[in-house]
Amino acid sequence: MEARLTGIDRRETLQYLGYLGSPIPAELEAEIARCEGEILRTARPRAHWRLYGLLPDGSLEGTTFTPQGQDVPELLKDCSRVILMAATLGSEAEQLLRRSQVRDMSDAVILDAAASAAIENVCDNLCEDLAARFAPAYLTDRFSPGYGDFPFAQQREFFDVLDITRQIGVSLSESGLMLPQKSVTALIGVADRPQEHRHRGCPSCTLFETCRFRKEGKTCGAF
Amino acid sequence: MELSDLIILDGGMGTQLQALGLPMGQAPELWNLTDPDKVTSVHRRYVEAGSRVLYTNTFGVNRMKAARIGHSVDELVRGGIRCARAAAAGEKVRVALDVGPLGQILEPLGTLRFEEAYDIFREIMVAGADAGADLIIIETMSDLYEVKAAVLAAKENTSLPVWVTMTFEASGRTFVGTTVPAMGLTLSGLGVDAMGFNCSLGPKELLPMIRELRRWTDKPLILKPNAGLPDPATGEYHITPEEFAAELVSALGDDVRILGGCCGTTPEFIRALSAACAAAPAETQGVPPVPRQSGVSSATRTAPFGGVRVIGERINPTGKKRFQQALRENDIDYIVAQGIEQQDAGADILDVNVGLPGIDEPEMMTRVVKALQAVVDLPLQIDSSNPAAIEAGLRAVNGKAIVNSVNGKAEVLSAVLPLCKKYGAAVVGLCMDENGIPPTWQERAAIAERILNAALAAGIPREDVLIDCLTLTVSAQQDQAVETLRALRYVREELGLHTVLGVSNISFGLPAREKITVSFLTQALGAGLDLPIVNPNQGAVMDAIAAHRVLSGEDRDCEAYIRRFTSAEAEAKTPDKPKQGGSMSLADAVLRGLKAETASITERELETRGEMEVINELLIPALDRVGELYEKQEIFLPQLINAANAACGGFDVIRARLARSGEQSVSKGKIVLATVFGDIHDIGKNIVRVVLENYGYTVIDLGRDVPAQKIVDTVIREDVKLVGLSALMTTTVASMADTIAAIRRSGHDCRIMVGGAVLTPEYAESIGADYYAKDAKQSADIAKLVLG
Repeated sequence: MEARLTGIDRRETLQYLGYLGSPIPAELEAEIARCEGEILRTARPRAHWRLYGLLPDGSLEGTTFTPQGQDVPELLKDCSRVILMAATLGSEAEQLLRRSQVRDMSDAVILDAAASAAIENVCDNLCEDLAARFAPAYLTDRFSPGYGDFPFAQQREFFDVLDITRQIGVSLSESGLMLPQKSVTALIGVADRPQEHRHRGCPSCTLFETCRFRKEGKTCGAF
Repeated sequence: MELSDLIILDGGMGTQLQALGLPMGQAPELWNLTDPDKVTSVHRRYVEAGSRVLYTNTFGVNRMKAARIGHSVDELVRGGIRCARAAAAGEKVRVALDVGPLGQILEPLGTLRFEEAYDIFREIMVAGADAGADLIIIETMSDLYEVKAAVLAAKENTSLPVWVTMTFEASGRTFVGTTVPAMGLTLSGLGVDAMGFNCSLGPKELLPMIRELRRWTDKPLILKPNAGLPDPATGEYHITPEEFAAELVSALGDDVRILGGCCGTTPEFIRALSAACAAAPAETQGVPPVPRQSGVSSATRTAPFGGVRVIGERINPTGKKRFQQALRENDIDYIVAQGIEQQDAGADILDVNVGLPGIDEPEMMTRVVKALQAVVDLPLQIDSSNPAAIEAGLRAVNGKAIVNSVNGKAEVLSAVLPLCKKYGAAVVGLCMDENGIPPTWQERAAIAERILNAALAAGIPREDVLIDCLTLTVSAQQDQAVETLRALRYVREELGLHTVLGVSNISFGLPAREKITVSFLTQALGAGLDLPIVNPNQGAVMDAIAAHRVLSGEDRDCEAYIRRFTSAEAEAKTPDKPKQGGSMSLADAVLRGLKAETASITERELETRGEMEVINELLIPALDRVGELYEKQEIFLPQLINAANAACGGFDVIRARLARSGEQSVSKGKIVLATVFGDIHDIGKNIVRVVLENYGYTVIDLGRDVPAQKIVDTVIREDVKLVGLSALMTTTVASMADTIAAIRRSGHDCRIMVGGAVLTPEYAESIGADYYAKDAKQSADIAKLVLG
């Protein structure tokens, strides 16, 4: 299955821009639409995934990888198999974001927000395709290193096991940052019975302490 | 082993080792030391299947990975070569040091510097040569710039043959956008011994691409595909060895002489491939060469020689006060903006000249070339008379460049031509020598021939020698225009060389310059000029070129011409926006984000007020008003930035005016901004920069992933009183704390403000920052507080 970018949710773009409900002038509305269009045209989304058996000790069969913490085992409690996935908007979009920061910062922040919304769309589509492929089995939510108590530091192992750099051209820096920036890694459990899709809620978010939506008494809408 | 012979390579290594028990996620290279017999046994099976070149099990070896697995590069490489050598014993089999990508993305997209990548590769290459490798194979590469670092590291530090294979997607580009023509032109120029593709796709998908590569290089070609496309769930391949061999052997008909397999291929695949090659009909063994296409290229965009290719002349300080000021003040952004503008105006190649007395030209050349490559796609022309600056530019270029220029002087030829040869650049030869510019076309043609012969003797291919017959000012030397055109026609028709000509100079000193310039350009194009050096921002010049391309047949079906002029007519019909600003106030224009209006209103205000008055009484209050609205959430981030950008239009007018009158630029004080070491997310910092600049501060932007020491050094050298640091991730906030500690230790008296998604005011205080800025607006408030 190919990675699919099928659209950008305007509400998500606005949320990433820190929009709090002031009136949006028509020129700005047009600028946002143009930037979203540019992301849709430029991005060449790529995704890569593999299915692994989940062993009783919590490790993935045939690999050196054992996700740490309590949250992943809890997520996978009904699962005998696990999908590791990685998705990216690609270096073309990354280049667009970087170049726009030289050409026009206003476009740059809008493009950045639109790209964040776009990679969410790619991940959602991939999960939908995976759900169809693995039916009648059921999929859990996707869960990324850095969520809850799944250590961010395990990103490196994630990359090595899934061979992400070679497969879709995403690299991981020494300090654990992905490039292209608009990239996601996650694991997804495959279970034999329906899975509750937990709205994980603000407390499990890594931005809990500093979120500007929460400070305003609102949410970003993701949960 | 001759490269004209058919050479069978080996197949996949990783999957074979996994079959012997290597778990996924563990470094295969470790087995060179812990389980060498298993590694050798895989090599041995490939030898038995017919492989004549073994790739060592060193794909992922580099100093970063070596440190992670607790061994040195030298140990891992030596072990890898030992394993392959043991399998090759007694056979006519070569051992190739296998060098894979570093796993870090190079500048400009990533933060790994080209020079650092070179150094990492150097260590690997030297270890391989010391351990007795027969050749070096640089493989599975996506980034042409990384390949260049690796090739230079191999060629400058060993005498081994160097082969390169890159990995392309079905789109015909690599993950980072490198194209097949860019690869062919650049690697031919760098003098690799063979090149081709590996991994990613199966033989069927790679065949059309290798045919394309054949058009751009006459080097021997390599094809080492995967066993088709894998099942995503399991990673298993389903193509049979016989199918693989049958598909791959058809590449012999496209003059590919070096064949093997990558992921998913096994000794059975190589055995089938050997058999299929032995049985291939004789006529596929000696294919006539395909005529080669020449040109220059960036990593992503090629300017093939043949049609008219416009070289933009604007990146040049000669006679430009504002540009000179930018060079002196290290204002790289201004220089880069000239590149963007020319690309948008239709330039195909950018000339880059940064020579100015008092400037470290080689250093500046490196910086400007890298900065341009970060934002424009165009191939570059390195323009200097200083061989050190030429080499600095050629080294930093990603792709194949042009050097501007040599002339008929022996010492210039001997200093510059070897550089062109080494880095694979085309070269401009000026028709002049120690006696100056000869007055007759015959004498100029003679110098052109002398330059051509010297270039050929230096190993530069004929098609990469570009001749400039030199334009003289017609108002001073009227009879010379005709001589230039005659020389040009001779060089084009009799010598068959491509020609370069700086055109604008012709009209110097005359009124209505553009008319003379365009007329001369048209005649020169008619005489065979194909690489005019012009100002692409001049519409009449580009119009003349568009028309010429129609008349010469280059613009098929007049497509580009029609596109250019139908859109121009449409624009002409829509009434112009009121650029004079009408009755709009400066504050309104800024608030609404109207840059052109802000600029014209600023012009108007300057008729009656001084520069500082306009800044302090109009521009800054306008920005303050925008800031207030932002704080009250009546506007949001894009509007804040649009307003700052609009104000920038006003500041630009004032800066240009001050540059003309020779005054220092206006500044309310210097601020250093940096995204801390280890962090690459710098959009927040860039927003802050735009806002601060438009409040009139001079921002020294050190970029992202900036080491603490560099920040300390800059703060001291520039005597900066305010530093802004950003970090996005919890993992990099620690690096922010280190940076603050380093600044404090230096004893330099300055305030530090910090910002970033995961920071809080409390945390900022705990790591010793003076201020926490929650957004760009607040950073401007802090700047006002500290610097006034």
